[in-house]
Amino acid sequence: MLKILFFGALGDKAGSESKSLELASGNTPEALRETLARDNPELGWALAEPQVMVAVNQALADWQTPLADGDEVAFLPPVTGG
Amino acid sequence: MAVIRIQPDDFDVAAEYDRLRHGAGRSGAIVTFTGLVRDFNSGDDNASVQTLTLQHYPGMTEKLLGDIVTEAQQRWQIDDVTVIHRVGTLRPGDQIVLVAVASGHRREAFEAAEFLMDYLKTRATLWKKVGTGESEQWLAMKDSDRRAAERWRKPESDK
Repeated sequence: MLKILFFGALGDKAGSESKSLELASGNTPEALRETLARDNPELGWALAEPQVMVAVNQALADWQTPLADGDEVAFLPPVTGG
Repeated sequence: MAVIRIQPDDFDVAAEYDRLRHGAGRSGAIVTFTGLVRDFNSGDDNASVQTLTLQHYPGMTEKLLGDIVTEAQQRWQIDDVTVIHRVGTLRPGDQIVLVAVASGHRREAFEAAEFLMDYLKTRATLWKKVGTGESEQWLAMKDSDRRAAERWRKPESDK
């Protein structure tokens, strides 16, 4: 299983701040985005915005990063801390 | 030893300043910055901020703050650093963030503190949601913050 996290406004669009998905749903963050977009087009568009970044196991990663079972994938909108 | 904390609780600026002041003892300069929750949300006409909620990515935020502090320690000669960022629901006037730097001289202290704040605004995994009583809205990153962080980028030839 993959643990998927949605921060900021992405959590509102996803309907929750976290989901569990099978690795078969997407073996890269981009593939996950496509799967999520099928059930939730608005979420899919929000994830496709250029400023959205992705982290795998709490490190910034490429959208084509190969995923392994047990990975944590977080979708990060532009940050606003400080 | 740098202090980096993410916490819901308020912090005591005087106590944090004392820690730096009574630390290694050789610092000639201490710069302290605090960020507070403002009462006016520039995005809404006449709507006043009632709550500011800060969300963060537990685990990743602490790691990124550690990386930002390490980078500051490599770029400037500094004796000690404190970064404290609150999370959870805050109200106008509440303290949000503390950045304090102790160094031999004022230039390093001012520059390192500004560098840390610019990177907190553009790299740390925290997100703000403003509540005005009528609605809640996630804030967008400001262009001015993005530009401020850009000026610390080293020229390629420096690498």
